[in-house]
Amino acid sequence: MSKSAAKNVGYIAEYMVLVVTIIVVWIVMGSTGHLNPVIMPSPGKVGNTIVSLVASGELWENLAVSVLRVLQGYLLAAVLGIVLGILIGLSHHLDRLTALLIQLIKPIPPIAWIPLVILWFGIGESGKIFLIFLGGFFTILINVIDGIRQTDVKLIEVSKSMETPFLKHIFLMVIPSAAPNIFTGLRTGLSSCWMCVVAAELVSSTTGLGYLIMNARQFGKTDVVIVGMLTIGIIGKIMDSLLRLAEKRVIRWK
Amino acid sequence: MQNHEKEQDYISVQGLHKYFIQRDSEKLQILEDINFGVKKGEVICIVGSSGCGKSTLLRAICGLDTEHSGTVTIDGEEVTGPNRHRGMVFQEHRLFPWLTVAQNVGYVLQGLSKEEKREKVQKYIDLVGLHGFEKSYPRELSGGMAQRAGIARALVNKPSVLFLDEPFGALDAFTKISMQKELKRIQKKSDTTMLLVTHDIDEAVYLADRIIVMSERPGKIRRIVPVELTGHRDRNSYEFVAIRKIIYNEFFDESNGE
Repeated sequence: MSKSAAKNVGYIAEYMVLVVTIIVVWIVMGSTGHLNPVIMPSPGKVGNTIVSLVASGELWENLAVSVLRVLQGYLLAAVLGIVLGILIGLSHHLDRLTALLIQLIKPIPPIAWIPLVILWFGIGESGKIFLIFLGGFFTILINVIDGIRQTDVKLIEVSKSMETPFLKHIFLMVIPSAAPNIFTGLRTGLSSCWMCVVAAELVSSTTGLGYLIMNARQFGKTDVVIVGMLTIGIIGKIMDSLLRLAEKRVIRWK
Repeated sequence: MQNHEKEQDYISVQGLHKYFIQRDSEKLQILEDINFGVKKGEVICIVGSSGCGKSTLLRAICGLDTEHSGTVTIDGEEVTGPNRHRGMVFQEHRLFPWLTVAQNVGYVLQGLSKEEKREKVQKYIDLVGLHGFEKSYPRELSGGMAQRAGIARALVNKPSVLFLDEPFGALDAFTKISMQKELKRIQKKSDTTMLLVTHDIDEAVYLADRIIVMSERPGKIRRIVPVELTGHRDRNSYEFVAIRKIIYNEFFDESNGE
């Protein structure tokens, strides 16, 4: 084995060690009878549940519903967050006009919106999507505004002194300069959206991963609860990795 | 040097004063009564110690800063702001980090076909000796190379005048000398009018047709020294050193010896 390959194995081992340790401790505790199966099922039980949920299609169905909801709310949040963020970031008037409102609404957790959202939208899809949108929107908006604001004034001066047309200035100067912040916003926004979809489904839904978890709790099926939680974790991680990959592709100059 | 004596000044600076308003609302004079003219194709170096207002003066002439009294005209028109027919090179290269060298150089070009644009960009990249680095990002370039790219960007739109604000100030001594040679070669080839701000006396004597010596606080023109050296300028020749001494003596009192 070459030296760098050995190093890689070392990195991967370091990356995995905590997760593997937890699973091992879990297995050992389960097999020695230290776990109350009602409160905390054994890994074997959870494994069986995964297989049966996958086989029955129940996991996929609920996963697909949740993913679709997240994507809709997130897309809305991303588009509006980026467009409004750029406008606010560019205009000091618009910034002063909106700053107080943004600062007041931002600290309200999306979960606190649920009662109003149910009243406004009912328990249909649009309310959930609105909630997910709320979760992602402010995070993305604020990061985009910051990014635009941090544009190097010396570089702006260069672009302005070349009498660059407005749209060219925006797309070749302002947006690339803010791109790292925009991606930070997109990534933290996505995880907020996941929190919101589960919250929305816990309260008012008959589908989705949040519903799967809540429903299982009522029947004392902790194994299903854990499968639901793991699924959310894994999908969230995969989506974040995809965004990181996109970031690396887009920001090639760093 | 060409014979432009009878020609009207291409750039004219008249009665230029500038103040900064300080925190206690007191006026601090930065530039006092600056008057001079530049002929087409001429190279002018503005020399002064740091803080003497020479960069402020350059910013006023190129239009980046318009808050001053007095007038600046270029080609008979009053300067009210920068425009893309005048090139600018700054001390920092100021390339856009997200664009490649070729994209940076081509940024200013408008209304050209792709092919025309590519040809122009390539011509100026070659001119500054960056052939092969078209697709590099600024962070992949050394300081001298980045500054070359900055010069190519300033030249690509065929500016009628090129403003340079301590363009080689951040480079090491060796790179600096080779860049000065390059700039001289480029200037001769393109016959661009140039206004260069520097605190390097050697650089000024090497490049300039005339040197404007500035005094500090407030920034005033102390003296304008013509550099009447023909042909190749040897930094160690007697004539070169003599002019350097004139400028040097404007700043440092040599009467009591070293």
